Amino acid sequence: MTGTSLIAAPAISPSLDEADRRFAVKRRRSLYVGALVFAGLAALPYAIRDVYLQNVLVLTLLYAALSQSWNILGGYCGQISLGHALYFGIGAYATSILFVNYGVSPWLGLGLGAVLAASVALAIGWPCFRLGGHYFSIATIVIAEAGLLLVQNWDFVGGAMGVQWPFNPDSWATLQFARDKIPYAHLALGLFVATWLVTFVVAESRWGYGWRAVKDDPAAAQSLGVEVFRSKMAAAAISAFFTAVGGGLYASYVSYIDPESVMSFRFSLLFALPAVLGGVGTLWGALVGAAILIPITEISRSYLGGTGNGIDLIFYGGLVMVVAIARPEGVLSLFKRTRAARNEEV
Amino acid sequence: MLRRREVLAAGALALAGLKSQRATAADEVVVGVLYALSGASAQNGVDARRAFETALDVINESHDLDLPAAKGAGLEGLGGAKIRLVIADHQGDPQKGRAEAERLITQDKVVAIVGAYQSSVSATVSAVCERYGVPFVCADSSSPSLSRRNLKYFFRPAANDEMFSAAMFDFMDGLRKQGKAIDSISLFYEDTIYGIDSSNVQRKLANERGYKIAADVKYKSNSPSLTAEVQALKSAGADVLLPTCYTNDAILLTKTMGELGYKPKAIIAQAAGFSEKSVYDAVGDKLQGLISRASFSLDLAAKRPSVGIVNEMFEKRADRDLNDNTSRQFTAMLLLADALNRAGSTDGAKLRAALAATDIPGTRTIMPWKKVVFDAGGQNPDATPVLIQYVGTKFVTVFPESAAVAPAIWPMNA
Amino acid sequence: MTMQALVQVLASGLLTGLIYGLVAVGLSLIFGLMDVVNFAHGEFLMLAVYATFGLVVVSGLDPIVLMPLVAALMFVFGGTVYLGVVRFAMRAKANQGMVQIFATFGLAILLQGVAQYLFTPDYRSLQVSWLGGKTLDLGGVYLPWPQVFGALVSLAAFGGLFLLMTQTDFGRALEATREDQGAVALVGIDRNRIFALGWGLGAALVGLAGAVLTVFYYIHPGVGGAFALIAYVTVALGGFGSVFGALAAGLIVGLVEAATTLVLPPSLKSVGVYALYLLVVLVRPQGLFGRL
Repeated sequence: MTGTSLIAAPAISPSLDEADRRFAVKRRRSLYVGALVFAGLAALPYAIRDVYLQNVLVLTLLYAALSQSWNILGGYCGQISLGHALYFGIGAYATSILFVNYGVSPWLGLGLGAVLAASVALAIGWPCFRLGGHYFSIATIVIAEAGLLLVQNWDFVGGAMGVQWPFNPDSWATLQFARDKIPYAHLALGLFVATWLVTFVVAESRWGYGWRAVKDDPAAAQSLGVEVFRSKMAAAAISAFFTAVGGGLYASYVSYIDPESVMSFRFSLLFALPAVLGGVGTLWGALVGAAILIPITEISRSYLGGTGNGIDLIFYGGLVMVVAIARPEGVLSLFKRTRAARNEEV
Repeated sequence: MLRRREVLAAGALALAGLKSQRATAADEVVVGVLYALSGASAQNGVDARRAFETALDVINESHDLDLPAAKGAGLEGLGGAKIRLVIADHQGDPQKGRAEAERLITQDKVVAIVGAYQSSVSATVSAVCERYGVPFVCADSSSPSLSRRNLKYFFRPAANDEMFSAAMFDFMDGLRKQGKAIDSISLFYEDTIYGIDSSNVQRKLANERGYKIAADVKYKSNSPSLTAEVQALKSAGADVLLPTCYTNDAILLTKTMGELGYKPKAIIAQAAGFSEKSVYDAVGDKLQGLISRASFSLDLAAKRPSVGIVNEMFEKRADRDLNDNTSRQFTAMLLLADALNRAGSTDGAKLRAALAATDIPGTRTIMPWKKVVFDAGGQNPDATPVLIQYVGTKFVTVFPESAAVAPAIWPMNA
Repeated sequence: MTMQALVQVLASGLLTGLIYGLVAVGLSLIFGLMDVVNFAHGEFLMLAVYATFGLVVVSGLDPIVLMPLVAALMFVFGGTVYLGVVRFAMRAKANQGMVQIFATFGLAILLQGVAQYLFTPDYRSLQVSWLGGKTLDLGGVYLPWPQVFGALVSLAAFGGLFLLMTQTDFGRALEATREDQGAVALVGIDRNRIFALGWGLGAALVGLAGAVLTVFYYIHPGVGGAFALIAYVTVALGGFGSVFGALAAGLIVGLVEAATTLVLPPSLKSVGVYALYLLVVLVRPQGLFGRL
């Protein structure tokens, strides 16, 4: 991982000051690269004139952001959650219910939903972080599934009937744009930038070192005095917070939500998948993974799904399987290797 | 020199090719079709495709049928242009339905969209159509809320669940008048928008008309087992069971009822699963005497030759008779073609106006409806539902009187 | 609710529970052996259901008779999946856990697509079974023979599995491999072979469950989804890798699910199971009979 190599680097280098300096240069360079990429992505929707492709772009950026959020807990901290659909649903429902039933601005709804999701994540994390490995993953699936059942049977939030957003004129205040996709692309990009920056900052903070220690060897981390539990809790809260914001944006984008369409298990997998495909626990893995996965998912359904004979599922499933096996470190590792090789030559 | 001339010639040819392509494109009217083609209700999408292909046969070729848009090949109002379908898969997901609707409208330039079975998907698809000013003909989603949103581009020729459930209670009221004792009913419905909507109407009607609700069972769709649910129904022992479920649960419910020895006096089903061939192939022997609401009845073929002919055309393609869903899908496409003829244009607003002005007597459709008109919300208030009873291996129309060919067998096991 | 109805609900819960146990034990076995969660387990079940269906259509025989053949076919299939997919996923040097999850998840979607391609998404049902529709009436408490039969198959399978694990060389090799993967190599046991056989055995067990299901359940490419989550909960509740735990947890899940419907609306019946599961793993993170 990038992180470990960054920590490891100073130990080999002769002088600590020199290492610090090189580290700072590297960090600054990452920021420049980030700014450049984000500027490019912000301009991209203007270059794509086709509404369908713009939709693919919005979903790609949104899933990149959601996967980056998942990455904080799953990738950096090594706690493989397969229940993030719960936080996504909390965000989607909080935003929708507050806006549709009480006229609360979606912007406020996004924030409130995010805080609520983070609190729920803390309440779940407190008992569940005692569970190891697959037991933790299964527990997160079960909790999310229980949440789905409860929402489905909770009349106050519309139950199975879902929540329909009213038809409003285009406005940034209500996050409603009838035909225009560009604002949504920018909202999704904004969320991705936020998650990227948080990852960038926190990964090199005390919490971040805690996460990597937890991930690599929980027992050793404990004995070394790393605050295992607190750093896990922090990761869970941050991760749930941004996932919920994504859920709220998704609700405003689709303008109609029901329990199955925001809280089903496939969402939990869809949040993890891009990061895993791109490179778990890396700054750019989620974006690269989403940029590969989402267009393929969408386009294979659109252009192969109309036959109804399952070809699109065969194609998609086969691809996920092959990529997972062929590049366990993620697609990003391809680039890293060539760069490492280049550096060695220099 | 020679080379340059060749290049020019090739260019001219290519241009000519493009032009001729465009010319054929003008003779085509593209209609979008949106269904789930993978997942739990994929079979419905596959059958819908056959229904639309049958409709296209009727519209694009010349047929001597007393149906809208049947006479003459192609669309008369558009110089004989033929309809071409673009079929897309929404997987039962409102978000995907929305995205596919946008793709059909912006990329394929469809003049209208027909769909979408799941009410939740119809909700988002109709919203997209409204925003782009493209008519959405809702063939088979029956949630009443869809036509209450005052959308200008939403049209539902078939009945909604309110009308269907009202027919069921009218039917029971009639039996009561004949002296049959019907005091209590049991509701059994899945935890989706379809099940909840249906049960809400049924609960309201039961209270208004004095039927005791003996059991009110909401179940989780796609459950591994329905034993406890059926036990609750059995314990309640109501006079009539009113199930609202899709194919898979209809099969499991029937099997479980058989296993637990629960034989209700009568079943009146909210179609869906109980109008699918696969259910009767699987457990038809246990469903003798079941009554289901329907938009369609094959008995009509005796009165209207077109019904039998269309059914035969469909049967050749799909290896099954037309049913509640496929008949509605077929009819929706014909009504759209009729509106295209009258509009004489593929412009969204003009097509919308033509659809809104639709006024076709029921006798000119394959449906048992009084007529086809649309109210302000896009609902056809005259889509008279019928009740059909499963007897032997066929359905017999038993309600309303105007369409009935036999009195209902009551109780079902009599 | 009468006493009779109560007994009925609990008896049905018991039968369903034994079938849940049978569905789950293959998953548990594979996990115990090599620490891999098969996210295509539900699709294994679905394939077994279609295998039974196909064999019945071709041969015209009763699904009960065909059960051993289905188990054998699934054994081959399970071994093939290990050798063709999982073996490579396990070679991953980084993120092994995630690679396994997503390799098997991809396989699950692929298998669903294949089933839809080969069999269409139509719902089907078998009626040729000798057991179909027969019910045992015990003074007003109805026990459907298909489920009773399924429960008996489940008990027999668990009994057979117990003997296999304790009395045969293969069983001892399995046990040794799960205790210490490195050490077995030293005594000349081929790890890959044992793993392949373990996957075969796990798939064969879910094959039995699939064959049993065809007698009383519907047949559809999505049929695995209805049982998959229950199977994961059952395995986690009983303890990953514990054969006996799968049996006990299956029974508990079946009973709790049935009992929940006595106090909550049936649409919430899984909530009772989920709540119990969460309570148990919070007290015993390794599940009832699992080892950490």
